[in-house]
Amino acid sequence: MEIVTVYGLNLLYTVATLGLIVLGLAVVFGLLGVMNMAHGEFVMLGAYSALIVQNQGLPILLAIPLALLVCGLFGWLVEWLMIRHLYSRPFDTLLATWGLAILMRKAIEGLFGRGYQSIDQTVPGTVHLLGVDYPAYRIVLFGVIAVLFAVLFGWYQRSNTGARIKAMVSNLELAAAVGIDTVLLARMTFVFGVCTAGLAGVLLAPLVRIEPFMGLDYLLSSFFILVVGGLGSLEGLLIGSGIIGGTDIVVSAISDKTAGYLSVLTISILFLWLKPDGIFSRR
Amino acid sequence: MLRTALFLPVVLLAVPFVWDFFVAYELGLYLLYGIVGQGLVICWGRAGFLPLGQALFFGTGAYLSGYILTSFEASWIAVGLLLVIAGLVPALIAGLVGAMVFNRQIGSGPYFSLITLALAMLGFQLANSADQITGGFNGMTGIPGLPGVDSYEGLYFVILAALAVSTLIVTYVLKAPFGQLLAAVAQNEERLQFFGFRTGTLKALAFAISAALAGFAGALYAPHQGIVTPQAVGFLLSAELVIWTAVGGRNKVLGPVFGAVFIGFLAAGLRDIFRFWEVVVAIVFVVVVLRFPEGLSGLILAGGRRIALGFSDRARPVRDIELAAVRQESEAALRYDGIGVKIGAVTILDGLSLDISGGGIHCIIGPNGAGKTSAFNALTGKLPVAEGTIAWQGETITGERAYRVAARGIGRKFQVPSVFPELSVGQNIDIALWANRMSHAEMFSMRSYRWRSALLAHLEKLFPFLGRPNIRAGDLSLGQRQMLEFALSNLPEPALLLLDEPCAGLSAIETSEMIEAIADLSRTYNRMLVIIEHDMQVVEKLSDHVIVLHQGRLLANGSLAEIKQNTEVQAVYAGGAK
Repeated sequence: MEIVTVYGLNLLYTVATLGLIVLGLAVVFGLLGVMNMAHGEFVMLGAYSALIVQNQGLPILLAIPLALLVCGLFGWLVEWLMIRHLYSRPFDTLLATWGLAILMRKAIEGLFGRGYQSIDQTVPGTVHLLGVDYPAYRIVLFGVIAVLFAVLFGWYQRSNTGARIKAMVSNLELAAAVGIDTVLLARMTFVFGVCTAGLAGVLLAPLVRIEPFMGLDYLLSSFFILVVGGLGSLEGLLIGSGIIGGTDIVVSAISDKTAGYLSVLTISILFLWLKPDGIFSRR
Repeated sequence: MLRTALFLPVVLLAVPFVWDFFVAYELGLYLLYGIVGQGLVICWGRAGFLPLGQALFFGTGAYLSGYILTSFEASWIAVGLLLVIAGLVPALIAGLVGAMVFNRQIGSGPYFSLITLALAMLGFQLANSADQITGGFNGMTGIPGLPGVDSYEGLYFVILAALAVSTLIVTYVLKAPFGQLLAAVAQNEERLQFFGFRTGTLKALAFAISAALAGFAGALYAPHQGIVTPQAVGFLLSAELVIWTAVGGRNKVLGPVFGAVFIGFLAAGLRDIFRFWEVVVAIVFVVVVLRFPEGLSGLILAGGRRIALGFSDRARPVRDIELAAVRQESEAALRYDGIGVKIGAVTILDGLSLDISGGGIHCIIGPNGAGKTSAFNALTGKLPVAEGTIAWQGETITGERAYRVAARGIGRKFQVPSVFPELSVGQNIDIALWANRMSHAEMFSMRSYRWRSALLAHLEKLFPFLGRPNIRAGDLSLGQRQMLEFALSNLPEPALLLLDEPCAGLSAIETSEMIEAIADLSRTYNRMLVIIEHDMQVVEKLSDHVIVLHQGRLLANGSLAEIKQNTEVQAVYAGGAK
């Protein structure tokens, strides 16, 4: 029974963290049509921000504003230099952001070296929950992400900006013609996407190995989730996270990490083959 | 071009003697990477989709080769076997993955690229963990050279031979009709499906060929290095392969070879001196993507000018192989039975029932939003049908995919002319002639360029500009593109041809030319033509059978005179509510 509870909590925690990571990728791909191959590298930037804050001996909470600042500024620059020229050439955004991903990995490798680094657990210890002892930080993380999702979802549903983004997505020219600054809006959407990735990086930093190549796994698992869950709905993303995260956890526990990875990759290929719009297709 | 063809082999052969064997040894490695890049020329440069995990196939070939060389007695039979297996296994993997992923994906979306990247990651993990077979993290070591060939000196010449073979294969694949079809896939994949080509299979085959080349290069990598580590399958090498190909030029057969050699030697010199060297390479890659899609070889060939991406037409062979006319088995009969189509909450077709039979011209009219084009889309697999059945020649074809419907002899011309803009008029005509006629073997036969048909001669008389085949289709005027697409949709000689406002955007003179052509062809060949038309004058000139749609249903069906008398039709067109 206890093992089931632990697995249940693990699944909830996985869905939450994967959901946060995939959110930015889905927003940027779904709204702007840009598959940001450097998405995982922004997660990495967030994690390195936490590392810098710790190495400077500053309070760890400062990592959050630092990561948002770094990812926000860099994301702004990338959109301005690169992405905005390519909105009509989606295939080239794939290539250009792939180049960007290589650039970011190599720059971080040059600055910090290739080795694994780690940061100390910020909320150590365990909490007794539902009859099991569970790491406290994971529970904090779950709470933070749940609140964040609720706020974002409510804001997008109600705010004017949400309405403007919807207008821009459904008809770019018309939105521009009625006075919406679509250039700025697209840029802010991109910056928002990479900032959520950076935030995810900070939140995950105490739990993972920090290294220049860490981003790739996040890109691929986010992509698998998009394939399974489909674009265009929050439920899809969360259920996709559940399927991908759950399969990975269960198969990895039974066999090993490689088998877990093989199984989620197989699921994704099967979805592309048989159900290319995902579970919740808009069609 | 001819000068390069003579000059390059001489230079490459001279390298070990002019410099030394160490340079040649290094060069050999870069040339192997160049062979892998040549596969990317087919997939990326020509067909427009990008595999991001090509090292998987390279590494698979290398491991297979290493395994065979260490396990079996060195003999040339073993080497021959090794080259075949090292090419075949990656090709099968790639073909299978490609067939699945491309099955329902149109275009060059990111999904395929990410799947291939994920496969390379998987390959890396498998190579690392399966240490019984691969030697794990430390790699498969002590791989002997090819029998009688010194790995340090002699193998270089074997690699040159391999490069020559690979260059010939890629050149041939690109020149053959298959290569022209891949260019058409990159430009307008959907149109190609409406010509009856299963484009997913074409792309999967292109991907399989590129994987075979990668495996083939990997087979020589194993004896060249004497060791194969998981790095050979990983995503890092995959990423570098893409960079070399982009920088060298993805549209030229030798572009990636040039890119790999150029960046390879620069990297060997600069990697240890300058820590951010690879950042510079990444920046160069991004700049090439943004500004110079032809890469360095394109820049040099253009003398610094930017040249358009595209697929140039060579001197056309004379069309001297006459095709037999397509015979019609039975009287054409099309039947819609209670067809319902919805997009989201909007009902597009609301129980449309309709019978059309016999040759000749049938016109569909109706106000905007009546569901005319949607009726075509539902038939040709472009829109999912929610309810009802569509039957063609008595067989139910509801929900069949575009290429299947086209293969049944149902052709289609779109409202906005849909051609292959970067191909010449002659190449567009090739593809239409090949549609529904070409076997897989003929995709690789140069004879297919010589096909002609009586209908083509007829069309050239009606539209004289078709006789000048070297014009780029994208450079034609809108009117000419309408006429070109009309001609293309006729060339497969479909039993049923759907024309969606063929005169849209035409001048008065062009309109009368088009009407004349439609009427002329209809008299000569007894096919079923269904035409959507707004212009009643056009309808009057073309047909006596008129079908009126309104709000996704059939409103009236009869002769033009009957329709004119119909009070319901009058009410709809006078603007009154029904």
